[in-house]
Amino acid sequence: MTNKGTANFIAQRASAALLAPLALWFLWSAVAHAGVSYEEMRAWIAGPAAAIPMGLLILVGALHMRIGLNDIIDDYIDSGARGVFKLLNLLACLGVAALGLWSLYVLSV
Amino acid sequence: MAASIAHRATGVALYSGTALLAVWAFAAAQGAAFFEPVGAFLASPVGVFILFGYTWALVFHTLNGLRHLYWDAGRGLDVKTARQTAWAVFAASIFVAIFVVAAGLSARG
Repeated sequence: MTNKGTANFIAQRASAALLAPLALWFLWSAVAHAGVSYEEMRAWIAGPAAAIPMGLLILVGALHMRIGLNDIIDDYIDSGARGVFKLLNLLACLGVAALGLWSLYVLSV
Repeated sequence: MAASIAHRATGVALYSGTALLAVWAFAAAQGAAFFEPVGAFLASPVGVFILFGYTWALVFHTLNGLRHLYWDAGRGLDVKTARQTAWAVFAASIFVAIFVVAAGLSARG
């Protein structure tokens, strides 16, 4: 458990360091493409300059979401029920990653 | 103290907001029928409120996350500096979120 905690501690900070520039890129992109048509949005997301950071944002974001909510579960949920909440958290984060990556793939081909 | 609670609250808000974003991406991957109505909704008063909330949460959590990384480097830990950086992060995040949403709305036209 101690090793896992340390790995999560490091992963949460490494993912944070990656997510900071990706979050700024995401906000900048949202402003730059506010109100575009469906075709313009697809043309934008199909380019590697958008698809690569978006794919990274989805993957690293889902990992960061999972570790962050697990930490909150550790603090607020009774130890007996933690496993169930952590399983639900894992499924939700896998769902976000799967929906995001699948949508990115469909929109960019 | 307030910044610590706000870091968790914005983390949870971003968790649900990002899940919604993934669902929207999935809907958009089905075709234009879902994409443009959601875009129009986001320009309505309720939509702007949601956009502002998500944007503020993302900017606050990112800036306060950088504050955490600065702490992890063993810096800025004294109470006076921690209070000052907390205020700076609150003020900067509100300013940046207003700027981002206003820029997005004016770019949309």
